[in-house]
Amino acid sequence: MIQARGTDGSLLSSLPWTMTALAVSIVPHLPYLPIWISIALFGCTIWRYVIEKRRRSLPSVWLRGLLALACFLGVLVTYSTVSGVGPGSALLAIMAALKLLETRKRRDQFVLLFISIFLVMSALLREQYLWSFPYLVVSIIVIMAAWLRMSAAHDETARQTFSTGGRLLLYAAPLAVAMWIFFPRIAIPFWTVPIDTGTATTGISDSMSPGDVSKLSQSDAVAFRVKFEDTIPAARDRYWRGLVLTVFNGRTWSMNDPFAGSRVHETVTEKGDPIKYQVTLEPTHQPYVFALDMPWSWTLERTFMGPQQQLVSARPIDQRVAYDAVSYTGFSTNADLGNYARSWYQRLPDASNPRTQRVAKEMRSAAGSDNAYIEAVLRKFNTEEYFYTLEPPPLGNNSVDRFLFDTRRGFCEHYASAFAVMMRAADIPARIVLGYQGGEVNSMAGHLIVRQSDAHAWNEVWIEGRGWYRIDPTAAVAPDRIDLGASDAAFQGVGAAWGLSAPSQFLHQLSMTLDALDAKWNDWVLGYGPDKQNDFMQRLGMHDPDWQKMMLTMIGLIVGLIGLISVLLALRYRPPAKDRAAILFRRFIKKTGLEPGTGETAKRFARRAMQTGTLPAESVESITAAYHDARYGPTDEFAIARLKRAVGTMG
Amino acid sequence: MQRGNIVEKLHTSEEAQRAVIERARDALGGIILGKNEQITLSLACLLARGHLLIEDLPGLGKTMLAQSLSRVLGLSFQRIQFTSDLLPADIIGVSVFRQNRGEFEFQPGPIFSQLILADEVNRATPKAQSALLEAMEEQQVSVDGTTRSLPEPFFVVATQNPGDQIGTFPLPESQLDRFLMRIQMGYPNEDSERELLTGADRRLMLKDTEADASPEMLLALQQSATAVHVSDALIDYIQALVRHTRESADIEIGLSPRGAQALVAASKALAFVEDHSGAYPDDVQAVFTSIAGHRLKPAGGTQFRSPAELCQHVLDSVAIP
Repeated sequence: MIQARGTDGSLLSSLPWTMTALAVSIVPHLPYLPIWISIALFGCTIWRYVIEKRRRSLPSVWLRGLLALACFLGVLVTYSTVSGVGPGSALLAIMAALKLLETRKRRDQFVLLFISIFLVMSALLREQYLWSFPYLVVSIIVIMAAWLRMSAAHDETARQTFSTGGRLLLYAAPLAVAMWIFFPRIAIPFWTVPIDTGTATTGISDSMSPGDVSKLSQSDAVAFRVKFEDTIPAARDRYWRGLVLTVFNGRTWSMNDPFAGSRVHETVTEKGDPIKYQVTLEPTHQPYVFALDMPWSWTLERTFMGPQQQLVSARPIDQRVAYDAVSYTGFSTNADLGNYARSWYQRLPDASNPRTQRVAKEMRSAAGSDNAYIEAVLRKFNTEEYFYTLEPPPLGNNSVDRFLFDTRRGFCEHYASAFAVMMRAADIPARIVLGYQGGEVNSMAGHLIVRQSDAHAWNEVWIEGRGWYRIDPTAAVAPDRIDLGASDAAFQGVGAAWGLSAPSQFLHQLSMTLDALDAKWNDWVLGYGPDKQNDFMQRLGMHDPDWQKMMLTMIGLIVGLIGLISVLLALRYRPPAKDRAAILFRRFIKKTGLEPGTGETAKRFARRAMQTGTLPAESVESITAAYHDARYGPTDEFAIARLKRAVGTMG
Repeated sequence: MQRGNIVEKLHTSEEAQRAVIERARDALGGIILGKNEQITLSLACLLARGHLLIEDLPGLGKTMLAQSLSRVLGLSFQRIQFTSDLLPADIIGVSVFRQNRGEFEFQPGPIFSQLILADEVNRATPKAQSALLEAMEEQQVSVDGTTRSLPEPFFVVATQNPGDQIGTFPLPESQLDRFLMRIQMGYPNEDSERELLTGADRRLMLKDTEADASPEMLLALQQSATAVHVSDALIDYIQALVRHTRESADIEIGLSPRGAQALVAASKALAFVEDHSGAYPDDVQAVFTSIAGHRLKPAGGTQFRSPAELCQHVLDSVAIP
């Protein structure tokens, strides 16, 4: 390029709109994009605007090609792949920014707006919150406005553009709703969204080291919501069983060797009344399924109960799922624990935590019986100086030793871990159950919210003649944690020390309302799958719904709706008001109560209006004169003002 | 263009122009009684740089109108009586050989005047007619290989007698298009006729009338008429009218683009004469019959007895946007 060709500044008026649309569609991605992409986006936008403003020339083909290659490699390096939601949207965003640098014509702007729509949609692949929908509507309106803006007249105001865009969306809304309701949902999707491999799994993981659960307890995120058919059980009975950890390496508990337990058949005897409820589980990208201890039946497909009564799905929970379950809070487990299994549940690494092992053996021999020993250990936790805290000091390798004898500060995982080690050291079979405990009742919606901060670890020990039964050492240290729930306990403990108080009643009410809305939204909109659709179709009176019937209904509805909208539009159509003068004169016509004839000029109409004798002749004359000047004369703001005043005084 | 500049300097005063038009209207109205509409239209036609065709029976004041116009506006006037033996040379002029000087000398015909009255134009042969019409169109004539410009302003008023059918050559539609307007005089009303019968001799009155305007003034007026504001709303209306003439089942041939241009030009000129702030729909309606009457061809078997009725029907069927 010998001579640089500057831009002609013709996009100066519409470019900010396109940029705004792009920005609005990128915002939901920003928290997930690497920082260099955000900076590049910002930089390209400013750069392009300056080019247009200063009439500079666009960067050359070589530079653009180089930048594109660099950005592609950048994404590849950052994510080490280019497929999946994360790298895909990163690539889309950075290429949109680069497209700005070669946006020369209106056609390029259209391409940019197309990309914006893609970006908005791809944000939904990542997350669908309650506020995602309003935000989606807003961003689509902004994109529509930018679109309309490119062909808008110069004097069109932003408000007019937005109202046109909103109106167009409103016309399309019934079609979208009809398609959403009737488009056949099938259990196996046509295509699967590539799950972001970079996304960390959330919630409880399949091993437990000191600090794991306390990290979780900082998170307010909802783990699952539960709707009980009858009354909600008391907090101390709400143990949500997740997974069972059996192997300890001195520091970390894990669930290695699935064969260990499977050789033993554990029988569960239910007592008391069944508790029926429905769980809506947020995606965890892990296979664990949570249910009230002890689950008896559940409706989630391809989910099985493990040998230690833990529920595991055959595929990771990548989407929000809802399932019905029945549990008995009263139960007993009878297991004829064989020698192999018994030794498995008693196993400890030889060299680890020597102090604990020694103390445990001493206490056991002092106690005389297993039961008395368990009592003694719990008493030790209760009466000695142990503190329940969310911020325990680091522990190092012999974590239990350090915790029991040195730091004496810990969270449920420390107590559960220490308790299990002490049991095993005394040859009592013990294991750790990970799950959630308690949960917050949303009285507004009548459901229970279980958050990540409710994550909990407790123990099960095996006593001859009694089987496995639950012992929660945390309850011995901090009974409030179990009786009140995690958040309240945290506020009364740590929070109070820092001078914080529990959230005000209003904020609490607000958060409960939002939670109720979110649950309904999840339930009815995001959770509208094959089953719900089937139910809904039957409620609409469709016998034996199948996809053909739904398709036919959908097509019929769409054709009908398009017809209806067209008829409504045709009925509503009025010749467009050319200018303000015409609108004002039409107001005058309305006030006279007369109907102007076809082809009757304003002058003749005014004469006819005056002949009725009911209207003041001079005001009719001044209106007519002003109208002619305003509408047919050269541009004259005064004439319009005169007309406005004259029509106004007519009353 | 040069001339235009001088004219502008001399006659740009809006008040002066207004006064000339008002005085001309008054003077004409004093001579030709009860024909205000025709007077206004012919003035507008003149200001729109168009030519006028008056179609009516003899004795209704066609000639008087043309003569008065030339007198009041101070234009040189020539009358050409069209007869069946009229030759083009009788209109344009001939080159005569002067023996004493030994060379040809061009003897200009009556067309070299600012206002021509072509009386009973349908009596002449098509050849003679077309000589006139070509001069009207081109604003110049070519004789013996020399092109001679016609004077400015140049305004032709042609009359046609619809009553006579034998031995006449009515102007075909394509030729009619050369006239911006076609108007009819019609009988005067009772009062006007009474005044005409009892009052002074119109011819003498005409002689006494002083010319009030110069040809330069007239050119300035023509320029002002072109400058009248035409709003989008008015163009919408004109387009709606034109579209209707093309789509209506009553009309076989609708208005051509040239017809539409004529409508705009005439509306502007009339708005100028009427001192409107821009061209109004009323102006369009007022000129519509005279513009479209001779350009539209009604479909066979329609109920309209005259072009005027057809035009009125068009005006009544098209809504003003």
